[in-house]
Amino acid sequence: MNLDRLLKKVEKPARYIGGEVNSVLKDPKDVSLRFAFAFPDIYEIGMSYMGMQILYNILNSHDDIFCERVFAPANDMEEAMREEGFPLFSLETKTPLADFDIVGFTLQYEMSFTTILNMLDLAGIPAKRADRLKSGKKWPLIVAGGPCAFAPEPLADFFDLFMIGDGEKLLPAVCRLREENPTDRDEYLKLACKLPGVYVPEFYRPSYKEDGTVKGFKKLYSGAPDRVVRCFEKDIESLPFPEKPIVPFIETVHDRAVVETFRGCTRGCRFCQAGMIYRPVRERSPETILRYARKQLESTGHEELSLLSLSTSDYSQFEPLVTELQEYCAEKDISLSLPSLRLDSFSFKVLNEIQKTRKSGLTFAPEAGTQRLRDRINKNITEDDIFHSVEQAIRLGWKKIKLYFMIGLPGETEEDLDGIADIARRIVDINYMINGRAGGRFSVNVSVSNFVPKPHTPFEWEPQDTYEDFIEKHNYLRDRLKKLKNVSFSYHDSPVSVIEAVIARGDRRVGALIYDAWQNGCKFDGWSEYFDMEKWEKAFASSGVDKAFYAERRRNYNEILPWDIIDTGVSKVFLMAEDQLAVTTGDCRDACNDCGIIRYTDCPMMSCNAGKEK
Amino acid sequence: MPRYVITFSKKGYIKYTSHLDMIRLFKRAFNRSGIFLEYSEGFNPHPKMSFAQPLSLGYTASGELLEFDTKEAFAAGEIKKKMNSNMPGDIRVLDCVQIEKEKRSLAAKCCAAEYRITIPCSGSLPDNTEKAFMAQENILVLKKSGKRKAEKQIDIRKMIRSLNIKERNNNIILSTILDAGSNSNLSPELLIKAFVDFAGIEAEREDIEVHRVQIFM
Repeated sequence: MNLDRLLKKVEKPARYIGGEVNSVLKDPKDVSLRFAFAFPDIYEIGMSYMGMQILYNILNSHDDIFCERVFAPANDMEEAMREEGFPLFSLETKTPLADFDIVGFTLQYEMSFTTILNMLDLAGIPAKRADRLKSGKKWPLIVAGGPCAFAPEPLADFFDLFMIGDGEKLLPAVCRLREENPTDRDEYLKLACKLPGVYVPEFYRPSYKEDGTVKGFKKLYSGAPDRVVRCFEKDIESLPFPEKPIVPFIETVHDRAVVETFRGCTRGCRFCQAGMIYRPVRERSPETILRYARKQLESTGHEELSLLSLSTSDYSQFEPLVTELQEYCAEKDISLSLPSLRLDSFSFKVLNEIQKTRKSGLTFAPEAGTQRLRDRINKNITEDDIFHSVEQAIRLGWKKIKLYFMIGLPGETEEDLDGIADIARRIVDINYMINGRAGGRFSVNVSVSNFVPKPHTPFEWEPQDTYEDFIEKHNYLRDRLKKLKNVSFSYHDSPVSVIEAVIARGDRRVGALIYDAWQNGCKFDGWSEYFDMEKWEKAFASSGVDKAFYAERRRNYNEILPWDIIDTGVSKVFLMAEDQLAVTTGDCRDACNDCGIIRYTDCPMMSCNAGKEK
Repeated sequence: MPRYVITFSKKGYIKYTSHLDMIRLFKRAFNRSGIFLEYSEGFNPHPKMSFAQPLSLGYTASGELLEFDTKEAFAAGEIKKKMNSNMPGDIRVLDCVQIEKEKRSLAAKCCAAEYRITIPCSGSLPDNTEKAFMAQENILVLKKSGKRKAEKQIDIRKMIRSLNIKERNNNIILSTILDAGSNSNLSPELLIKAFVDFAGIEAEREDIEVHRVQIFM
């Protein structure tokens, strides 16, 4: 069976061909370790993810390692492959996944987990680790990293090893160790678990109390660490970053040059996992950022440049950096895109210049409808901030304002839902005030998502609303908002956020749910056209996993949580204190909030607020 | 602002990229080569660069044409060299010439194209197949057209300028010149359909390869 025949039958066959500019081709005979970097979604999504480009670049910089890519085939391709018995293959050399030494998945989102099992199955690799071991065959090591690896238990039965934290040095170390111990799996894992940031699930056996909560983890190999401390890279300035990122043939979600300015965030929003697990803030210097931007643009021919971080304008030298980038981009006819800006006067100046002709719309994320609730979630933005910025935006000619909110946040009441409608109404009024009643087209879009409590955040103990609660709140808001002219409302009435909540805070037993859901045909659960609650309901029934226990239960502060096996560096004491606060906690740049990270690594923010009053 | 035409080939897996992908690919290859294109005026400026004819997804080619205006002058040979070092290996610039600027675009000038169509076939065809096929007064095929993709019967005979059949290694190789211009245009897909029906060949579309040899002005 040749690949050509398959490619002629499917949509967008260029998803599967590799060979893009800056992709790497090596002779497999010349290397001692072959690594398949697997992204559990289609090409267009996966190729927009910078983390893959970073690690691909690093692994391939080693002469003895060859890193190739693999994505989830779209449905038509999967059907054609299954029909022909064509196994899942890498883009670079079209090698079946089973022939690699290591297959590494990136875990970006809980709802991609069924797709992981499906990809392993398409590759002919048994999804369950126990089945692989039983078969007596030598399979590739199945490993994973990424944000969801910080709460790995729901996937513990499928993976050989998880990498937690910064991967730039850890991933090559995991590969090197395999090169040195290519045959003895047991010996390899015993050595690997000693690398900081490596979690080997088979070395731990969880036990449960009668009430279903975790009783403890029994170590099955005494050399394994009691808790796995996340891998920290102190100095990201010196870490390699792609100078020649791969340039896709087909249009991807983000098809542009991207430079990471800093890692971490100092804002401390209590719902935000990224803000906790990537601490402390570590920046690249403006010179380095500019150098990577130039090299990437020269080597790719891209016509758009974007900066990557959790909060673009928090970069300490934001103004000089952006001023310089703007000059460079203007000269080269490159459009500069700056996501998630805090809207102060400088940002407006910049936005006004880069969106000169087309003002695409401005997005604000107040997240909650009242100051009380914004304080509770530590979203440090006031109504005055929002209205002042909106007023400026409207005066500068923006006609479209988007607002992001979450519903179901801890402590939310009806007043907070009314607050959402109120903010929308006042923005419409501001437009009337400036442009008059006949002020032409103007729209406010209110977008609402359902709150999912995440591990390692101050809200890790909090219950999630039930699906019925969410529906009721959607209906309430829809009624409120439809009375407002020029205001549109978007939300997802899908129970997907409930499943996300179950998996996000799941223990090892939740693996059975994921497995059964996949067996029922679930995949691409993050795509609304694929998500099928009926199949998940069947899987809840067959696996015996209780939805309410995982999603809707308030955890006790003394409870051992399934993800406590992972130490992010942020202390439990800090998270508990934050969970109980009704008032805001300041930005780490102003004063240290004692999150505990300095027990493990230097916090550059300590020196930036040295000498300031605490 | 000089105008150039390059002739290029496309082979291997890269044949699975679409016309729009090729526009993006060339734009970026020009950027990487430091060959900056002229932009059109107006609200939504785009680089002055266009292909003589779009090449269907899945086809290989050895004589595709692309014209473009650059901001500054280059020696034609330099453009060829620069582009070849900045392109994926399966696309090769074979030639580059500077041309006089005129109103009519390449696309408006081209009128026909030569294709080589390879169809796997275990048996052999009767000797007179070529003549008999071309001797037909009408060759009627169903063509999907319009927004609703309604099927319409059309006669393609007049749009086939020549056809030659060879058999080699269990393959039937059609060499054919078809109308390919703004006035009259015939997709090789319709010819394949008509020919396979006529000759009674049982081949699936995914086993047939199409190669565009050259484009005629």
